[in-house]
Formats: sequence, C-alpha cells, structure tokens
Amino acid sequence: MYADYAYLIVALPVLAFLLCLFVGWHLPRGGGFLTVLATFAGLILSLGIFSEIYPDKIIHQSMPWFANFNVGILIDPLALVMLLMVTFVVTLIHTYANGYMNGDPGSARYFAEAALFTASMLGLIYADNLLQLFIFWELVGLCSYLLIGFWYRKPSAAAAAKKAFLTTRVGDVLFLAGIILLYNNLADLNLALKPGEYLLQFPVIYAHLAEIAPEQLTLIALGLLGGAVGKSGQFPLHVWLPDAMEGPTTVSAMIHAATMVTAGVYLVARMFPLFYAAPYGLTAVAAVGAFTALFAATMGLTSFDIKRVLAFSTVSQLGFMMAGLGVGAAVGAFSVGVSMFHLIGHSFFKALLFLCAGSVIHAVNTNDMREMGGVGKYMKWTMYTMLIGSLSLAGFPLFTGFFSKDEIILIAYEYGTMINFLPYIFLILAAVLTAIYTFRMWFSVYTGKERSDYGKHESPMIMIGPLVILAVFAFGFGFAAQDDFYDYLGSNFDNYGVDFDHLAGIGGHPIAEGEHGAAPAEGEHGEEAAEAAQGGHAAAGEGEAGEEEGEGEPWYIQILPYIVAIGGILTAALFYWDRVKKFDPSQVTGERDPIRQMLLKGYYQHEILTGWFAETVVYGTALICNVIDIKLVDGWLNWLSAWVMGFAQHVRKVQTGVVQNYVTALVLGVVVLVVVITLGMEVGLV
Amino acid sequence: MIPLELYILLASTMFTIGLYGLVTQKNGVKLMMCIELLLNSANINLVAFSAYQPNVNGQVFALFSIALAAAEAGVGFAILISLYRQYGTIDLDTINAMRW
Repeated sequence: MYADYAYLIVALPVLAFLLCLFVGWHLPRGGGFLTVLATFAGLILSLGIFSEIYPDKIIHQSMPWFANFNVGILIDPLALVMLLMVTFVVTLIHTYANGYMNGDPGSARYFAEAALFTASMLGLIYADNLLQLFIFWELVGLCSYLLIGFWYRKPSAAAAAKKAFLTTRVGDVLFLAGIILLYNNLADLNLALKPGEYLLQFPVIYAHLAEIAPEQLTLIALGLLGGAVGKSGQFPLHVWLPDAMEGPTTVSAMIHAATMVTAGVYLVARMFPLFYAAPYGLTAVAAVGAFTALFAATMGLTSFDIKRVLAFSTVSQLGFMMAGLGVGAAVGAFSVGVSMFHLIGHSFFKALLFLCAGSVIHAVNTNDMREMGGVGKYMKWTMYTMLIGSLSLAGFPLFTGFFSKDEIILIAYEYGTMINFLPYIFLILAAVLTAIYTFRMWFSVYTGKERSDYGKHESPMIMIGPLVILAVFAFGFGFAAQDDFYDYLGSNFDNYGVDFDHLAGIGGHPIAEGEHGAAPAEGEHGEEAAEAAQGGHAAAGEGEAGEEEGEGEPWYIQILPYIVAIGGILTAALFYWDRVKKFDPSQVTGERDPIRQMLLKGYYQHEILTGWFAETVVYGTALICNVIDIKLVDGWLNWLSAWVMGFAQHVRKVQTGVVQNYVTALVLGVVVLVVVITLGMEVGLV
Repeated sequence: MIPLELYILLASTMFTIGLYGLVTQKNGVKLMMCIELLLNSANINLVAFSAYQPNVNGQVFALFSIALAAAEAGVGFAILISLYRQYGTIDLDTINAMRW
C-alpha cells in the first residue's frame, strides 16, 4: 500500500519547494516547517515501504517517457537504506535549520532550495534507470550551487559556489560520456526487450553486462567513476568540498552527510556489477579511494577552521567508502554492504558533527578554532553530543564508526592478501590520522582556556533536539544494525540474478578461481564477517578471546583498529588537552617546518592549480586561442564583410536623390524590357 | 465616327509629352502635371477601346483611374507644400536629402 505512494517521497519536497519559493515570505520562519513536514512524510513513507518489502522484496514501477527511455521507481535494499537515511537525517537537519536560519532575511529562499535539494537526492536514489538518475544528479549539483552560494553577496561564497559547480561539472561530463557509451553498447547488442523494459534500466543493465566487450566496460566504468569522483569529492576533484563551507552550516551538514557527496558512492554501489565486471574498474576505485582517504586526512590535521576540519574528514571518509567498494574485487558484493554501512553510519555522525559545529559557530560567531577554547563550559549539550560524534568518527570501539570503518579495513586486508596491500596501508594510516585530527578539533574547541571573547550561551532547544537524536544513532546504529545490514545489502544484487562468478571471470578477479562460486561465497562471507565483528566485541570486553575467532586474519590485524583509534585519541590528548598536555605542537613542528607548511597550504593545491596551472598553462593556451580566434576565425569573416562594405560604397552612388535620374532609369528599363520581349516574340522564345 | 487610330495617336502623343516632362523638368508642380498627362493618356486609350468594342468595362475602369489620379494629386501636392515649407523651394534638384 505504501509502495503505491512512493512517488510522494519526491513529490512532497518539490511541493514544499514551490510553496516556500512563492509564498514562503508570508509564512513564519520562511515556511521552514513545510520543508520539515514534507521530508518527515517521506520518512514515514520510507518506513512504511521498509515494513512492506523487508527482507526480500523489491518495488519496481515504471512508465514510458519518450523514445527508448522511461521514468520509474526502483526500491531495492540499496535504495531503501539510502531513502531511510536521507529522509531521517535531512528531517533532523531541516528541523535544526528552523532554529539556525531564524531571522535570516533569505530564509524562505533557503528552505525552498533545501527542499529541492532533498527532492533531487531522493529522486536520484530511487531512479530506476541511469538517465533519470543523471537528471536528478544534475539537479543535486544545481541545488548545491545555489546553497553554497546562499550568501551570494559575499564574494568568497559566490566563488566557492562557482568552484563547486564547475568542478563537479568536470565529473558530470565524464559521467554523461559513460552513460552514452553504455547506451551505445547496449543498443549494439540488439536485445529483444520485453514490453516495459528499457535499455538504461538497472535490471536490464545488470542482466546484459556480461555481453559487452570488456574493454568497453572498462571505459564505461572509468566514465562513471569520473562522475562519482566529482560528486563525492575524491582526488583530484576534491577541491570544491572544503570551499563549500561558505554556505550556512546546515547546508554543509546536508551536503556532507546526506544529500550530495554520498551520491557518488551510491552511484558506484549501484553500478557495482559493472565495476566488478570491468577489468581495472574496481582497481581504479580502490586506488582513488585509498589515496583520497590518506591525502585528505593529512590536510585535516592542520586546518584551523572547524568546518574545514570536518570537510577534510568527509573527503577522507568518502575515500574509505570508495576504497571499501574498490576492494570488492577480492570479496565481491559483500563490499557493497560494508561500504554502504559506513556511508549510513558516517551520515549520522557527520551530520551530528556539522550541526554541533554549527551550534558552536552560532554562539561563538567564528569558525576559527584558535579563537575558541573552553566552549564546553557554556555549551554542555553541544559538547557531549559532539563528543559522541567525534568518538564515532575516530572509530572508538562500540561506536558506529568503529564497526563500519573496522570492517572496511578488514576487507582491505583481505584484498591485500589476495591482490595488493597498498589500500590497506593507506587506510590504516588514514584511520590513525582521523582519530588525531578529530580529537585535536574536539579538545581545542571545548577544553582549555577561552582564547577570545565570544558569545557564551547554549543554542535553543530546536537545535539541541536534533543533535541528541543524531547522537543516539551515531552511537547505537552500528551496534544494533550491523549484522542484518550486511546480509540485507549483500543480497541486493541477488534480486536481479547477477552472476558475480561469471562477472569475476570477465573482470579477471581472483574470486573466480576460488573453490566456491561467488554468490554462495558472499553469503558465507557475510556470516563470517558478522562473526568476526562479534569476535571484535568480545575482544573489547575480554581481551584476547576474540582473536582466535578471526577467520584467517592474524591477531595483530584484528586488534589494529582498536590500537589505531585509541592511540590516535591519546596522541591528540597529549598535544591538545590541557589536563594531560605533555607536548606543544610547535615543539614537534615549527611554524616554518616545510611539511607543516605544505599541509597547511593543502599540498600547495591552490598554488599549483590556480597559481601555476591556471596562470601559465591555461592563460598561455587562452592567449594562443585568442590569437587564433582573432586572426583566423574572426579574420576571414571580417575580410568578407569589409569587401562587401567596399563594394557597397560604389554601388550606393546609384541613389542620387535626383528624381529625374530615377525616372530615366525606369523608362530605360521599360524600354529594354519591351525591346527584349518583342525580339523574343519575333524569335519565338516567349 | 473618328477612327480608333486617331485616339491612339493622341494618347501616345500625350504620353510622350508627359514622359519627356517627367525626365527633364525640375519643378515639382510641373512633374505633377506630367504625371497627370501620363494618367490621362491611359484613360483616353481605355475609353476609346471601350467605345469601339461595345462594352462599358473600359469606361468604368477610366472612372476608377480618375478617382485614383485625384487622390494621387492630393497627396502629391500635400508633399510639395510641406517640401516648400521645409526648403523654401520646390526645385527638386536642391531637395536631395534621400540619397547616398
């Protein structure tokens, strides 16, 4: 019954968008309650759908659109968990925004754009074909542009919005190229489609993947990966994400937690069979993800802007998710479950962290952590909820982030034993740094002395409420949902009868040579992982008991995540917590230390991209193009028009302005005509 | 009855005079008179042919033509009057603003 109203999940936020846009300024708080209600209704509907189809049904509705395309709704386990997460997190963010944006003159515009943002993300999630997904993908990009540039009178905000839009556009072009390539390849197969089946529908793609040539698959996969890299802020298209902090904090929370950057990971997860079948597809995903995870984490270490720290951590965590999908080359579709689990968990604690940061900024009126310090005395609620978020992000045992990140690291190890250890090493290092920079942030904001004279008050209840709810999820979700989640998501592609065993053969993955088929292996692996994780719990309580339960990984690999998380937090405490402070950060790295400078400047990306690349390469190319444009393209046109003008200068002399001349010409013309016609009659031509 | 040729001769004489005036004269009023000559030579032709071919179509047509000539003369002299007010002359050689 709920399934019949699935379209409302998108339609209601669109309605809220229209209402806020046109009548928002007549309503209290810019009509923010409409946006909240619309998203909340989406959450209720999603929950209803969940109760209907869990654990083994999917919903697929579709109607023809034009030519070979359709519009449709596809809710399978993958889409369902995303729907639940997005509607839930975004409802809370919108509620919080009602407090945060209160009094802003543009709040009606904010809520309109936020509602459209939500609608496009939800539409992207349950699109049943790639074209529809792409349309909503672009809408998400548009809304992010509008919201990042929300305070468009501020030049830095306008610049950040433009940067975000253009950078993601690079990825989008690749994505579109991938879609076109996929469409052409599918069309070339001359499939006998049943009525109601369309070429770009996901079930059709899954079913006929194996018939496409492998090198074409690789090209398609790289194109789609390009789109995902742009949207999810992976290296080298990550540059827009830290700048996207210029929007209101609630926008950052939405972008980072639910509605934008997860789209890229979702795309890769959605097309996982394609990536799996494409030789080098998953290798590229793993490489990009693992590198980004470490790369962004190092930059998070030195940033002083509380929101930039969180932004870098998002980039880094998205790298974890990408890497988690990429190492699926070794463990198959199980990795989709692992990666999506991290995505969902991450969205809870990252939304929490951003909203907490927003709460702090709301009170303190600065983003700079050097001007904070000791905020915890005045903002108890914010401090403790943020502590939960930080512990979760750092991967402290029993928190959500621990389960999800731990599992990614473990499958990365498995990937290492079979293929290559590099992703594992990168991820472990990134995990250490994550714990350090997270607690560097937490300690320097909440503890210590007040380093400037800032506003000292707790935020209103409408902002605290969502924080508490998110904190509950940031703590408990991983523990409560883990086992079922892996099973549920791992079975996602079974609904379409995807034969991973066969695809592995095309992609050249080692699992095809294993003694058991891929599909049963997935199931088994899910259980094994669940056991391993339970073993992990036991280990937390009883020390060494869990290690013997591990399936193949040596004991030091099993406990490494614990060491990494706790060690990282302790390191941060030694440097930044005034109670136990042993070292001054400046003792380790001086102001002039080259590495510190490099990290602070973000690996000189700005200098390289803007300073060097833009000003020499791009500017030089532009100069050459300019010359060609003026001399060649414009040149011949100008020559032609000049010639015509010159000719006309002579011809215009005919217009003497003397009536007699005209009359004479007229008479002469008539005479000539008469003569010609008469002669023609004589000869017999006329 | 006067032979048809004489009418045609008269008409063509008038037409030639009008055409000659049109090409050579510079006074605006004289030009208007020449145009009247052209029109009326055509009218003579129409009426003459109509009388020799017993049917009144040509004469009706000549009436239309006369009405048209009256209107044309009205507009033409109005233009000439306003030209005179503007330039103080109706010598068309000096009024040559609409040339290259």
